[in-house]
Amino acid sequence: MKKYVFIRLINIVITLFVIATVTFFLMKQLPGSPFDEEKLAVLSDEQRAEFLARYGLDKPVTTQYVLYLGNLLKGDLGTSFYFKGQDVTSILVDRIGPSALIGTQAIILGLTIGIILGIIAAFRHNTVWDYSTMFLAVLGVSVPNFVFAALLQYYVGLKLGLLPVAFWESYSSSIMPSIALALSVIALIARYTRNEMLEVLGQDYMLTAKAKGVKRLKIIYVHAIRNALIPVVTVLGPITVSLLTGSLVIENIFGVPGIGSLFVDSIKVNDYTTIMGLTLFYSAFFILTMLVIDLLYGMIDPRIRISGVKE
Amino acid sequence: MVKKWPKLLGVFLLGLMVILSGCNFEESSSDAKDKKGGEKTEKKAENVLNLSLDNDIPDLNQVKTTDTISFSVLNNVMEGLYRINQDNEPEPAMAKSYDVSEDGLTYTFHLRDNVKWSDGNPVTANDFKYSWLRAMNPDTAGSYSFILADYIKGGAKFAAGETAADTVAIEAKDDQTLVVQLEKPTPFFVSLTAFVTYFPLNEKFVTEKGDQFALNNQNILYNGPYVITDYNQAEGVSLEKNPEYWDKANVGVDKINLKVIKEQSTALNLYEAGDLDRVILSSADVNSFKDSKEFGTETEFTSYYIQFNLGKDPISNTNIRKALQLAYDPEVLTSVVLNNGSEPATGLIAPKMTGADGKSFRELQGDVVKPDVNKAKELWEKGVKELGKTPEITLLTADDTVSKDTGTFLQSEYKKNLGIDIQLVTKPYSGRLQTMRDNDYQMVVSKWGADYNDPMTYLDLWMSPAIPFRGNYSNTKYDELVTEAKDEVDEKERMSKLLEAEKILLQDDAVLGTLYYQGTAFLQKPYLKGMVTHPSGAPLDLKYTTVQ
Amino acid sequence: MKNAESLVTDEFSDDLFEVVGPREEDSERIGRPPMSAFKDSWMRLKKNKGAVISLIILIIIALLAIIGPHMNEYKYYETDYGASYQAPNQDHWLGTDKFGRDQWTRIWQGTRISLYIAFLAALLDLIIGVTLGAISALMGGKVDNALQRLIEVLVGIPHLIVVILLIMLMEPGIITITVAMVITGWVNMARLVRAQIFKLKGQEFVLAAKSLGSSNTRLILHHLIPNTIGLIVINMMFTIPSAIFTEAFLSFIGLGLQEPHASLGVLINDGFKGMRNQFYLLAYPAVVIIAVMVSFNILADGLRDALDPKMRK
Repeated sequence: MKKYVFIRLINIVITLFVIATVTFFLMKQLPGSPFDEEKLAVLSDEQRAEFLARYGLDKPVTTQYVLYLGNLLKGDLGTSFYFKGQDVTSILVDRIGPSALIGTQAIILGLTIGIILGIIAAFRHNTVWDYSTMFLAVLGVSVPNFVFAALLQYYVGLKLGLLPVAFWESYSSSIMPSIALALSVIALIARYTRNEMLEVLGQDYMLTAKAKGVKRLKIIYVHAIRNALIPVVTVLGPITVSLLTGSLVIENIFGVPGIGSLFVDSIKVNDYTTIMGLTLFYSAFFILTMLVIDLLYGMIDPRIRISGVKE
Repeated sequence: MVKKWPKLLGVFLLGLMVILSGCNFEESSSDAKDKKGGEKTEKKAENVLNLSLDNDIPDLNQVKTTDTISFSVLNNVMEGLYRINQDNEPEPAMAKSYDVSEDGLTYTFHLRDNVKWSDGNPVTANDFKYSWLRAMNPDTAGSYSFILADYIKGGAKFAAGETAADTVAIEAKDDQTLVVQLEKPTPFFVSLTAFVTYFPLNEKFVTEKGDQFALNNQNILYNGPYVITDYNQAEGVSLEKNPEYWDKANVGVDKINLKVIKEQSTALNLYEAGDLDRVILSSADVNSFKDSKEFGTETEFTSYYIQFNLGKDPISNTNIRKALQLAYDPEVLTSVVLNNGSEPATGLIAPKMTGADGKSFRELQGDVVKPDVNKAKELWEKGVKELGKTPEITLLTADDTVSKDTGTFLQSEYKKNLGIDIQLVTKPYSGRLQTMRDNDYQMVVSKWGADYNDPMTYLDLWMSPAIPFRGNYSNTKYDELVTEAKDEVDEKERMSKLLEAEKILLQDDAVLGTLYYQGTAFLQKPYLKGMVTHPSGAPLDLKYTTVQ
Repeated sequence: MKNAESLVTDEFSDDLFEVVGPREEDSERIGRPPMSAFKDSWMRLKKNKGAVISLIILIIIALLAIIGPHMNEYKYYETDYGASYQAPNQDHWLGTDKFGRDQWTRIWQGTRISLYIAFLAALLDLIIGVTLGAISALMGGKVDNALQRLIEVLVGIPHLIVVILLIMLMEPGIITITVAMVITGWVNMARLVRAQIFKLKGQEFVLAAKSLGSSNTRLILHHLIPNTIGLIVINMMFTIPSAIFTEAFLSFIGLGLQEPHASLGVLINDGFKGMRNQFYLLAYPAVVIIAVMVSFNILADGLRDALDPKMRK
């Protein structure tokens, strides 16, 4: 087990290196530069090169890459081109907090409601309960969450005045964005839970448990949920990553100073260092989550042996 | 199972608290509530102005910054020799007056005696010299260095790194006197001194802060009507009246919050909830607020146009170009499709831009391009005959809603009026610019925002040499006119040359298809008075604003 | 034992029993009609009311996508600046957008594109996602490791960069959008299938099948995939709408179909901007997407129940 984790960790470093390399070279192919292009566009090629040279952007991409890697090894992500002079690390640290908060709340909310709805639907298979859960779930994924967000903001924030319309000022500012984000999580989790519960309920050991006279709630808890969790855990991985690393539209709608809009903006303005910093952060987070999930499989269902895991 | 719930809940809550503590809310929740309750009832007593910014604040380092949001913030906390007033004219600010030599080449500015930085030290002529040289020095400059280097004698060579700083003709005669020599007579130079890149800097302070200069609100020294008390790039800034400001008696508001709100619908909700005092409306919302007393529109010195690429078939054919220029009515575009306060364009230079004799350039010139479907058809057929075939045409646009809508409008008008199908190609912002540089387009929806209030800011763009970005246009007569205008001291003479140049560009050569002058539609609370938005340079000026 | 045997023979002698012969009427009676697996499933599907209604709705939508644009005199690209932002009325059944274009026509025109995108997303999921997921789990070891690292790299590289590069390199259109979706559209499916098969691999019936000499192909096609179908169907419920909205985003920044073409996703995005005052512009395309997705899900669920041998009652 320890050896497995160790090997995986080495793999992670290699994977991150590959991602960083590919992203770096792709990013350099993007049109434009980190500067006001409307002003630079009229310059002749020589003038332009001269200007870019001041920022070390005239060197061959491979040279720039080596320099970047060197700094990276020292733990230096560089300074942002767009937020001129600001340290990329401090920008990331500043922006992650709000995104992580609404993301975590959305996951907790989504998981709780989703699992409950899924269980209800499974136990009341093919009834009104089942169909309405299904309908809600489909609604949750078919209507984009920014529509929900805008409706929430308009009715709960403006018309009823229950929560702040936007801004990031107090804890209550985080409630509506969390709810808006949670909707698709609820849909997803409810749907997977229902499906797995149905499967598990049809298994022989459930019949055995029932025959033994085990109470219904205990059946759900001890036997059914544990077994139904595998796909939930699998989908939870990417959800966690995407929610904790921010959602562009939701953050924009509620004025959350999060990391979601930073990713898109930094690519639009060719803010090379910020793009790299975000990519590394995002990938590392994603890969680690994957590792945790692979380890979780074994814990939830002892029958599963991921290749390479040896006790 | 029931017993385990409290445990689980406990874990959830614990996790939440950990995250919360790492999460920097601007104020503690009780504070925020108090403040909000207060604002709603005692708005006028509080003397606070709440506005929104439509994007992050990228960079408050005046030397390097280039975007309008940073400009808007800096314009209220800093001040140049002159400041642009409500009527869009320069008025004395750090300087109390200036003298200009007869040839229009030497400007002598006299500073006020009582102007101070926010730390109490006096603002001196040397602060301007230091700042201007810094803005042109290739080691420290940003992409706006040209706005000094193009005009100040010796600036261009210094900015190119060819000569030393002492060759630039800026002289601080004493603490209160600044003498500048210009390359050419520049009648609008005084208004240029109100531009962000022309603001002064305190050498000692900047050197002391080094790399950290302007990275947070403590690392900026202010000399404008307000100082920044809180600065977060993603959330916005808070400003307070500057007690050291020379004209503080005329500053109307005690505290200003400029909050980053990127979504227009959110800003509108905030406005209706009373959290904002002014909001820009999106075109979809204009119709339902048009009759409100709080509704208003204004235009900027930003013109949108179709840039034809004269270096590409079939656009190189003048008749085809003219047909494409006349076959649509910009009036329909602005009133129906954009519906955001923009005005239909009949020329390149935005209305209200200075002309001569107290008249604006547009008033002097009149309409240069008048849409005419029948004529367009004729020209098109003529052009097709000359080409020998019906050409295929694509139109390049950027990927923002307004440009895309403009593209859709043009496509449908060309189909209706000329019977042709044009292809739309959308590219992201820098992708569009790159494609233009690469000469890989036939026509493109493009724009130019004026840097200063003079037609020259537009007209010198199309001078030789021909570059793909400007449609490969080159015309010796046009070049002559613009060059002569640059050397001309007589204001009337100069203007008549520029008027003719616009005609050549649009009528004779049909290099551009005029579209619209960018405008904004907004709602503004009735108690908000004296709110100034400038059509060029730094848009926002809150010195004269009051909320009582 | 001998005693007991004799006891039986003693007590139950043959003459106690009587031969009754075959009962003619019983042997001809058909207790349950003989059925092929397909027919059997179809029967069970038909009994599921929800599934039948869903099927009908899907057929209606597909028909409308074909004939809808021709049901009135307007064309999807036809602008009328005198009639912009009209609420639904007799002339324009679903109103008009800001260009005065007929929404009814545009919605059905857009449904065609969105259905293609949905089909494409489903296909990618099935072909690439399921296959790679299954291979990864079954082969295990190095293959699994390599594929998982590949997925991590694909997810790690910012998609938007790749998309912008594609915009610069390729002509906008349906092929470009397909390329963009091929790159990562299948990743989640692959991971889900992999996890599920890992779970199934250890179960007894797989061992049984293996010891009975099933080939790998047979194992995958007849044992593992059928047991994963439920998950596959559910995952599609998420990939399809997200593909539809991804397409709208990609079209917006210039990768997909350009104006005057529209898809449901594009219509919803446009409608969102005017949602406050022209709610109908958002509502109708949203209703179509929801109707398609709800029907698809109920039908798929019904199908799964019908196909799944465990569900037989």
